Amino acid sequence: METIGFLMDGFAVAFTPYNLMFALFGAFVGTLIGCLPGLGPANGVAILIPLAFTLGLPPETAMILLTSVYAGAMYGGRISSILLNIPGDEPAMMTCLDGYPMAKNGRAADALAASAIASFVGSMIGTLGLILLAPVLAKFALTFGPAEYFALFMLAFATLGGITGKNQVKTVIAATLGIMISTVGIDISTGTQRYTFGVLELYEGIDFILAIVGLFAISELLFFVEHRMGGGRDKMTVGKLSLSLKELVSTIPTQLRGGVLGFIAGVLPGAGASLGSFISYTIEKQAVGKKGKFGEGDIRGVMAPEAGNNGAASGALVPMLTLGVPGSGTTAVLLAMLISLNITPGPLMFTQNADIVWGVIAALLIGNVLLLVLNIPLVGFFVKLLSVPPMFLLPIVTMVAFVGIYSISHSTFDLYFMVAFGVAGYFLRKLEIPMVPIILGLLLGPEMEKNLGHALVLSDGDWSILWASPLSIGLWVVAGAGLVLPYVVGPILRRRMNAAMKETPVSD
Amino acid sequence: MTGLGDRILGLGLLVLAVAYGWAAQQWPEPFGGAEGVGPETFPTILFVVLVAGSLYLMIKPDPDAQWPVGKSALELVVSVVVLVVYALLLEPLGFVLSTTLAVGVLSWRMGAAPKRAFITGLVSAVVVFVLFNYGLSLSLPAGLLEVH
Repeated sequence: METIGFLMDGFAVAFTPYNLMFALFGAFVGTLIGCLPGLGPANGVAILIPLAFTLGLPPETAMILLTSVYAGAMYGGRISSILLNIPGDEPAMMTCLDGYPMAKNGRAADALAASAIASFVGSMIGTLGLILLAPVLAKFALTFGPAEYFALFMLAFATLGGITGKNQVKTVIAATLGIMISTVGIDISTGTQRYTFGVLELYEGIDFILAIVGLFAISELLFFVEHRMGGGRDKMTVGKLSLSLKELVSTIPTQLRGGVLGFIAGVLPGAGASLGSFISYTIEKQAVGKKGKFGEGDIRGVMAPEAGNNGAASGALVPMLTLGVPGSGTTAVLLAMLISLNITPGPLMFTQNADIVWGVIAALLIGNVLLLVLNIPLVGFFVKLLSVPPMFLLPIVTMVAFVGIYSISHSTFDLYFMVAFGVAGYFLRKLEIPMVPIILGLLLGPEMEKNLGHALVLSDGDWSILWASPLSIGLWVVAGAGLVLPYVVGPILRRRMNAAMKETPVSD
Repeated sequence: MTGLGDRILGLGLLVLAVAYGWAAQQWPEPFGGAEGVGPETFPTILFVVLVAGSLYLMIKPDPDAQWPVGKSALELVVSVVVLVVYALLLEPLGFVLSTTLAVGVLSWRMGAAPKRAFITGLVSAVVVFVLFNYGLSLSLPAGLLEVH
């Protein structure tokens, strides 16, 4: 019952006209970001962070803006899946399977509307799950000591590659690199200068915001340049809406199943939105059985993965908000915003910054309604934007990134640094070193070191404290499993995902 | 040889790890004597992990990626140079001029017709400048266009 009171307070925060305006703006921009191929949610949120920062937004408004963008991007990803057979972001991959055939059968408008509704339902289920689960988990997390936290961070890194991750060693390397970058600067506990080389700008450490923007936005530009994907795509026509109420009602079980499965996948470490939509799709296929025409434009094949990935998006906020340990790229970027707002993420946030947490949750609920309202009538507008060729779009996005970084500190030194990170990001991505663990390492590195220090001070230098309690042993075991399992299960799952993709005749 | 990319990366990371680990051992002992955890403890752990990871990469590299050659590579170099020059000229030339140049060159190199590319650059530069300076009152450098 306590929760309802908090939620009401949250609504009071989110419903102020100022915050509502930013939620609407975020939802709109988010949809845009999601539907443009090559501008994923993590990327989009990353570019907006410096802007939110320089605008001097109050913390709750900044977080509301960014979570709306996040939710919007999850909605937007489906548009290009359906119309172009190109997922706007990774989780929208499964939506291509039936969405594109539907569009080819002349039911593009129906597919878009149905998927918007499914996204809404999935997101609502996910947010309800978040409301129910987060406070409980936060209370539980209060019992964590420094040793448990250290083990939890290890778990986060170990499972970050995901169950479908290809090369776990590369995930480990990426995380290590990120943590190493975070050690640059003056050591907080002793005051020792580490890796500063006497450069004044490095004393305070490397600002993770510019690292994030460089690694994501600049490297993305370079990828586009390399692949010469500057040209536009064919214009798509959406057609008339012929979706009947009966069809919508008959697919309610599909949406509920998808949302719940997605939420679970989102909360679990190492699963995430892509797996959420995959599981929802396959289970739906099995539940419907032979009666369905999956792969040929079955409406349930559009709704299940969309409900799944939006449910997962809200689910992924659970570990981020309660433990301060994000499980996906976008939530990692959201965490970056929290840290730069000087808010310590973790269980204490639910008591110390209740207005922010509950404001964000309420904003998610409001944002979803806004998104549904935005997405159905405005879909034509988003489709038009899809035909803006990247050769104009990406340079402008890059410029916005420059402006954002420059206006934080008004120093061009930061800009060079950002470009350097972009170039490094390009090479690392080419070598299949994932970006997200680097970011997470940058963000969590200082916390990890602090917790390690605290644990060892408590134990008087005895390292065995790190695995002394049953809870920390459990965390270490899960972390170990997260690191090893992908070698066992990964190939099978990946093969299945590929098989599912190949079953449908993907032709252009 | 296959996996050359990963092997080179592994070698580079190994050098980085050793340099990083070595530097950590050089710091003076903090005032008040050594405790359980000094400033070098955590970096030393990272050093060990990275050495192990880089050795693995060299022993068991993944197949190589397709690296851009010839014209693609040149385009990439051009893009990076444009970004660096953009950062260099932002303050002296001012936001509007430098942005027009940077966005224009980038979209021209990505395949737009030169005229449309530079018009896109100019329009986006002016819009963002006006929005930031007057709408949000965050000052971007006016540079040469500054009116006294």
